[in-house]
Amino acid sequence: MKINFRSIRVGILLTALLVTSVLVLRQHRQVPATKVPAAPVAAVPFAPLAKVKGPDNAPVKIVEYSDFECPSCRVVQEYVTELFKNYPGQIQLTFRHFPLTSHKWSAYAHQAAECMNLQGKFWPYHDILYGKQNQWSVALTPPLEFLTQSAQGLGANMDLFAGCMADVAVTREIYAEKETGTVVQVNATPTFFIGEERFVGPKEVKERMENAIRKIVGLPAKPVVVEPSTPAPAAPLAQVAAIPSAAGEKKP
Amino acid sequence: MQEKSYKILFLGRMFLGLVFAYSGYTKLMEPVENFQGAMAAYEIIPYGVIPLLARIIPWIEFVFGVFLLVGYMPRVSAAVLAMMSWSFVLLILATRFMTGALPADCGCFGEGSLLHFSPVQVVCMDLINVFVGIRLALLKDHPFSFSAFFK
Repeated sequence: MKINFRSIRVGILLTALLVTSVLVLRQHRQVPATKVPAAPVAAVPFAPLAKVKGPDNAPVKIVEYSDFECPSCRVVQEYVTELFKNYPGQIQLTFRHFPLTSHKWSAYAHQAAECMNLQGKFWPYHDILYGKQNQWSVALTPPLEFLTQSAQGLGANMDLFAGCMADVAVTREIYAEKETGTVVQVNATPTFFIGEERFVGPKEVKERMENAIRKIVGLPAKPVVVEPSTPAPAAPLAQVAAIPSAAGEKKP
Repeated sequence: MQEKSYKILFLGRMFLGLVFAYSGYTKLMEPVENFQGAMAAYEIIPYGVIPLLARIIPWIEFVFGVFLLVGYMPRVSAAVLAMMSWSFVLLILATRFMTGALPADCGCFGEGSLLHFSPVQVVCMDLINVFVGIRLALLKDHPFSFSAFFK
């Protein structure tokens, strides 16, 4: 077999050229920053506050890394609400910002939510952001009007809110919080932690998290409902199968 | 192969190469977590392999897409891209049948790209890509290519 060294050399050169171009372009690519109003209002003294729901003495402590613009994060809220309803007083949830750069209005939403957190209105605002995600996330321009109106609707102090929206210290805190997720290798949203155990995405939350909670509160594991694979299934597909808890499985 | 039919295949080669080169490029220009997020939306992919796949796939798409465009190893490049297209088709169909749902965006291009397709649209495009890729892979001679130059 005749080896064409010239062709191989060209291939190596071509690949090196492609890889180098991408790496150089990636380094020089400007990442769009959060827009700050031209005449920023005086910055609000900012001390990061944890976004916690549920009693401090709750035996189950859940940490959630989420993005307000991510559809899976919206879907998962339904399951989380259900868990709070089913295990009253047993769960404490801490929300941590994990805005994905790909979601163009995510940074705005997280900034607004953090600003509402400073006014003690994080959770109702959180619910609005997820509840109306379909409205603001598809906007062609930054959904500032939506964010402001929603804040106003919750009775926020709008001067404080406007100042906070322009405060880079708040932005920095949001990304510092995201960094805590990156450190523990969060690479998709939503990611939940109960202690060391990780649950990524609605499917894992739905199938495994409740049993992890039950284990902590000393209840027997619940059988997991296997969802039908087609929209209008025949009865046998909707079987109930007991799937053993698989702690540590699927960990990235 | 007649010259006339290669004209069509040449267009197919450009299309296939461009689609993959652009797809890989847009993903490479964005944080890897974006593509990881897009992959996570296909619930049947094990989370453990997502970080690795999200780092490898865009490079394969970009490099082999450009290879096919310029005609360097066109048969191998076409075969690789056809295989990738086929695997995307299988992934989308398997996700649909196993979970009963599909993500709104196929995640084939970066979030910041100009193109956004639904999974159904992408299945159609990928089937065309598979057909073109196989035809190109079976073709011995590729005019207007680096390979022809080195013969």
